[in-house]
Amino acid sequence: MQKAERLLDLAALLLRAPEPVSWREIQEQFPDDYGGSGEAAIRKFERDKAELLELGVPVRWVGGDEDLSAGYLVDKEDFYLPDLKLAPEDLALLYLAGSAALAQRAFPYARDLAHAMNKLSFAARAPGASEVAAVAALQLSADDAGEEARAESSARLEALSQAVAGKKRVHLVYAGAERRARTERDVDPYGLYQRGGAWFVAGFCRLRQEIRSFHLARIISLQVNQAAPRTPDFEVRKGFSLAALATREPWEFGVHAPVRCRVRLDGPASPEERDSFGPRAAWKETTGGTVVEVEATNQEALLRHVLALGDRAEILAPRPLREKARKVLAALARRVA
Amino acid sequence: MTRKVAVPKPDARERLRRVLFLVPYAVRHPGVPVRDLARRCGVTEKQILEDLDFLLGVGCPPFAPDDFLDLYVEGDRVHVALHQSFSRPPRFTESEAAALAAAALALGGEGRERVVKALRESVPRDRRALFEELLSCIFAGSPPAKDSLLGRIEQAIAGRRALRIRYFTATRGEENERVVHPYTLAQRLGHWYLWGHDESRGRALPFRLDRIRECAVDDRRFEPPGEAELARAHLFSEASGPPVRLRLGALSAAWALARPGQWRVVSRDRKGGAVVEVPGVSDEWATRFALSFGGDAEVLGPPPARRHFGEAVRKALARYGRRS
Repeated sequence: MQKAERLLDLAALLLRAPEPVSWREIQEQFPDDYGGSGEAAIRKFERDKAELLELGVPVRWVGGDEDLSAGYLVDKEDFYLPDLKLAPEDLALLYLAGSAALAQRAFPYARDLAHAMNKLSFAARAPGASEVAAVAALQLSADDAGEEARAESSARLEALSQAVAGKKRVHLVYAGAERRARTERDVDPYGLYQRGGAWFVAGFCRLRQEIRSFHLARIISLQVNQAAPRTPDFEVRKGFSLAALATREPWEFGVHAPVRCRVRLDGPASPEERDSFGPRAAWKETTGGTVVEVEATNQEALLRHVLALGDRAEILAPRPLREKARKVLAALARRVA
Repeated sequence: MTRKVAVPKPDARERLRRVLFLVPYAVRHPGVPVRDLARRCGVTEKQILEDLDFLLGVGCPPFAPDDFLDLYVEGDRVHVALHQSFSRPPRFTESEAAALAAAALALGGEGRERVVKALRESVPRDRRALFEELLSCIFAGSPPAKDSLLGRIEQAIAGRRALRIRYFTATRGEENERVVHPYTLAQRLGHWYLWGHDESRGRALPFRLDRIRECAVDDRRFEPPGEAELARAHLFSEASGPPVRLRLGALSAAWALARPGQWRVVSRDRKGGAVVEVPGVSDEWATRFALSFGGDAEVLGPPPARRHFGEAVRKALARYGRRS
């Protein structure tokens, strides 16, 4: 019997059974699949059971007692998707966030997300306005980047999603931005994060022996360790926080020892400018302007950030960084002259 | 009844997930057109018909005639005679719930904790720890605005109520009041937008969420746009005027071209640098963008954009000249 068919038949049997179904009975019903008395039949059944569990069909074994015989069952309460009992605005949050994420195409577990969005219509009594708004979100968020590039990046993200979930090691061929050379390395993928519309995989790099982030678009090729798919290859190191890594400002990337930097902005800083320096920046009003102080471990990134603010801002300290800003601007001025 | 011998499919797992949704969906929507079902499931109509064919062979031992699933197509519509207990889809798997929760956390709003809790509880009990672990492995972004503000916007969208917003217009550098019929929230190129009908402008416009300073839900109700109007909707108006041309050095090109955006690469040099064109952006945007590469990029044209860039560089340089 084909596996997909067997799994569904098994689910139907256990769902419909009024009480636990014994192993013997299961063997009788599926003689070609689980017949025989050997270990092999039990192992095959256990694999099927695990797959059903992954599909959301919770098959479990119950030991018998006076009232109930021993056997396998699917607890209906634990199988059917319940109503989420969410207020309309909370449902709207789910619908809008899910649709916008789906429209990007590149989102971790995108396929699962699509299934979840489908199921959502069963998990809410009256989706109504939220569902209409979700269709609009899907339409408006649709990425019009090239179909080929999109398919490639979503396939890469999907493979990495599976590797993260299963804690499987990956082998990357990676084009580094700074060195421009290709490197090959094994990485234990800890998680996936998005920043500025691009996805990164964070994990322990076995080549550099430290936690690193990799831009998905710069991954040239990717291989997930296929051996023993249900056995994890690694443990995530204690103290690792994906959110902390993902919300680092570019000048907080660990390139050199920490340096206190001061930047002056003309007039009061707008909320957007304040946001752009992140939550760890210290602000001080001065005559005719604002001074912001940050601790940088990547001064080059701070320089770029300040230059992008144009003539609204200038680097005050440290002096070498200020001098570098002047040199960069002088070189550009010569080019456009 | 003899069982059909089916050809093994490589995407057996995907098919199983699909039919576990498809059967209850057809139960809930009797006579659903094959086309709609295909669209819902994100597959072709042919694939749906193959799935229905496959389901003919599925049932519950001992496989008496009434023990089989019975879905049939009549005049391009799907009907269910026997659903064999597949009347509702299974609970969310941990990865389905975690992906949805990660998306919700990245958007935010006052309901995000409630939403994550509800999702967690809709995963089978013994998979909930895995859900939490997986959720900690996805960070899809920080919420674009305060939770309370987003909460009110989400409330207005769900209740189809007008919103009074105080909005910061970046190009003019000023804040003003608008009344918007909020249709939806959408994400483009790393930013979140509220898309809705602006009463004073008389048309649908995008509002960047991080530029909405304050908002209040109005009592007035509105009708959302129809499907036809939606199909014509764009978050951004079509690019007008000539595209801005930029020269990117090798490092900048590697960085920029790896990001989402409407680049058209005009030429590449041997070292990896590139000349690119970007449609529909302001001179100011082009200048800021080029300067963000710390000297490794410049605006080439058209002439007004190039002048804007040159002027900004000279003014910024003057600041350093004064104090160095």
